[in-house]
Amino acid sequence: MNMRGDLARDLAGIVGERHVRVDDGALAAHARDATPLFEATPQAVVYPGSTAEVAEILRYATANRVPVVPRGGGSNLCAAAVPLRGGIVMVLTRLNRILEISREELLARVQPGVTTATLAAAAAEQGLLYAPDPGSHTVSTIGGNIATCAGGLRGLKYGVTRNYVLGLEAVLPTGEIIRTGGRLWKDVAGYDLTRLLTGSEGTLAVITEATVALLPKPKESGTGVAYFASLADASRAVTAVIAAGIVPATLEFLDHKCIAAVEEFAKLGLRLDAGALLLFGDDGEADAIARNLDRIGAICTEIGALEVTLAEDVARADALLAARRCSLPALSRLGPLTVLEDVTVPRHRLAEMVDRIDEIADRYELRIATFGHAGDGNLHPTCVLDPHDHAAIERCHKAFAEIFSAAIALDGTITGEHGVGAAKLPYLEERLGTDQVALLGRIKRAFDPAGILNPGKLGS
Amino acid sequence: MIDRSASDARPDAASGTGRPAPASAGIFDPGLLDRCISCGFCLPVCPTYRLTGQETSSPRGRITLMRALESGRLADGDPTLAEEASFCLGCRACETVCPAGVRYGELLEQWRDHQWRGRRRPLLARLLMAVVSRPALLGLQRLVRRYATGKAGRRAVPGGADRPASLMLGCVERGLYPEVSRAVLELRPELAVPGGQGCCGALHAHNGDSAAGRELARKLGERLDGTIVTTAGGCAAHLAHHLGRDRVAELSEYLERTGYRPAGEVRVNGRRARVALQDSCHLRNALGVTRPPRELIAAVADYVELPNAGDCCGAAGTYSLLRPADSRAVLRPKLEAIEAADVDYVVALNPGCLRQLRQGLRRARSRAKAIHLAELLVMAARAANRSTPR
Repeated sequence: MNMRGDLARDLAGIVGERHVRVDDGALAAHARDATPLFEATPQAVVYPGSTAEVAEILRYATANRVPVVPRGGGSNLCAAAVPLRGGIVMVLTRLNRILEISREELLARVQPGVTTATLAAAAAEQGLLYAPDPGSHTVSTIGGNIATCAGGLRGLKYGVTRNYVLGLEAVLPTGEIIRTGGRLWKDVAGYDLTRLLTGSEGTLAVITEATVALLPKPKESGTGVAYFASLADASRAVTAVIAAGIVPATLEFLDHKCIAAVEEFAKLGLRLDAGALLLFGDDGEADAIARNLDRIGAICTEIGALEVTLAEDVARADALLAARRCSLPALSRLGPLTVLEDVTVPRHRLAEMVDRIDEIADRYELRIATFGHAGDGNLHPTCVLDPHDHAAIERCHKAFAEIFSAAIALDGTITGEHGVGAAKLPYLEERLGTDQVALLGRIKRAFDPAGILNPGKLGS
Repeated sequence: MIDRSASDARPDAASGTGRPAPASAGIFDPGLLDRCISCGFCLPVCPTYRLTGQETSSPRGRITLMRALESGRLADGDPTLAEEASFCLGCRACETVCPAGVRYGELLEQWRDHQWRGRRRPLLARLLMAVVSRPALLGLQRLVRRYATGKAGRRAVPGGADRPASLMLGCVERGLYPEVSRAVLELRPELAVPGGQGCCGALHAHNGDSAAGRELARKLGERLDGTIVTTAGGCAAHLAHHLGRDRVAELSEYLERTGYRPAGEVRVNGRRARVALQDSCHLRNALGVTRPPRELIAAVADYVELPNAGDCCGAAGTYSLLRPADSRAVLRPKLEAIEAADVDYVVALNPGCLRQLRQGLRRARSRAKAIHLAELLVMAARAANRSTPR
């Protein structure tokens, strides 16, 4: 029997025939995630229905030296879910139950396949907030969010996924089931494996359950928009806002290319003649919000905003935030190949970084649109390309290599929230240095002696 | 025993230097296929993905399959291609949440043109297409027209707007539900009902013969003067695509545009009726019409919004005949929502949905009845007439 047949039979023995796919179509459909230009075909796709099944699959994979790549919603943007070395793609979306939401303890216990938006909605029903809200929240899963330490639009005030993970159940590549952390806000017993697994990109263990912290849902929220002549001006406004001691829930910006693309999809009446749009928002008590938004508006005007307006109602504010979330896919209207990056710099260096990106884009004759979480110094320069123009794609890779170096030179990083995956692995050493990369390798081997879990990525 | 280095592993372009431009089979419009960026925003709204939870039955997965077919990575006879081309409802809910603007409906038509060419098309679909392509075969047209229009017949006269308007009888509807057209004419007697109406071609376009679909739409456009008024959301979307948006008005749009003011009230057991709506997928997802039917219902009854009013009911043209089990599985959450809403009527805007809901509600022994919007409005108008002293 051939290898694929063996795999199909063996995996079916664990999860049942219905939950294994080895047909060419299914393999093709799992050859990529949301990252362009990266594809590799697995030999099997498996959908486990329990932690025990996950453990049995991993034991089998270690015994037989078959790579396993965990996958949630497949919305990853750094090719972390691409099965570079073939093997098994393990899709965790069948594990999609919310096990518990506790108002007394302000936490939720969920399986990894629950989508971020589903958890947020369930929490909201109880008057609670699950704060991390990545742009892909309707499709991304909590397991995937934790594995990549997803950020989102509320990072400035509320932090990112790692700030909300209290405990994990995870299966080691060798099949042992571990429980890290728990229901406690204070717990220093041992190395902080919860944090280590958060952002480990499926290279150390497979997350099968998570306990996450919730917050009381803010009573009110408010949103405003300021237009600037340039992204650099908007960046200066962001720095000034923080320097004034205001930490709003939302500080997002888009350059004029993004405004045009988003407007075409969402039709919100955005101003198309401006160089940049800054979306600011806060939540909490109504009077505090009003005060903060007024002060932010005044600072923007001082910096030279062309126009400042506050959203008149919640529906308008939601529409603005939703529009911001879809910046990336909307940009693909300009050109079907969008290569998106994720550099992050200290907030007060945003304007410098933005200028550097523009200069690099000009020099390489590329169309790079930039949007991002300005309040976090987190930029998403996005290169819009024709997929058939190989010379431009080559220039794009060179330009991004320079953008990464520029970010590091400004005390920044190569990725703020999307992860390293396969896409940024070549640049990791420049960021971390040789010794740290070597340590990553030793940590990886301690968890995964056979090297079966998401090989070719972090720690490999 | 399995070896990691087995030749079955095919890392394709892991170097990050870009895919080589694939050789194209010419099945798809490459510009359309390139648009998808695989973000996955479409997954949560796809009814078949919700059923299976499997990537291959999501819009993103299907587009990956189409690309694999186009590039030759998947063989022409691949069973997953065949299954997924057929399993898709074609409801186009994915288009409404796609920020990249993928025109999935067109891609699906191109896919089925290839997948279901000639004898590969399901027999039942072939039969139906043959029947509706020859209106004479139906043998009902004249009868229906007479029944719908009364004995005198009608001429094209200016509609409520400045231009003439014609009522399209619809190939399925005229056979199954001639009372719907009759109700429309009771509401809007000025509508012309020309004879010799063929099928609009939506059936063909959705079943792998988009050339015939286009041609039939063109012919019908020549046959019907002015604004084509249709009681079928699916036909409206198909005609609008080929004849232009301004040539076509679905009934609720037409009523609104011509200033129709609903009269009367629909009452059940001495109280105002509770009425829900089933959006027509193509009316909602392709043409973006959602408000007018709701407002019309709310004018004559207590309107109840179903939480899944915008989700496909599983009728999906020929789907309910070709894949009855899947069709019923798609319908199930809808029936549950209708029961939970405790409504008297569910209004449909398309004959396929009407049939699907009637069958489903009957099987579920529900007290709710499915009716077409035109029938609901006539019921209200008649009640108003009865209560008006002469």
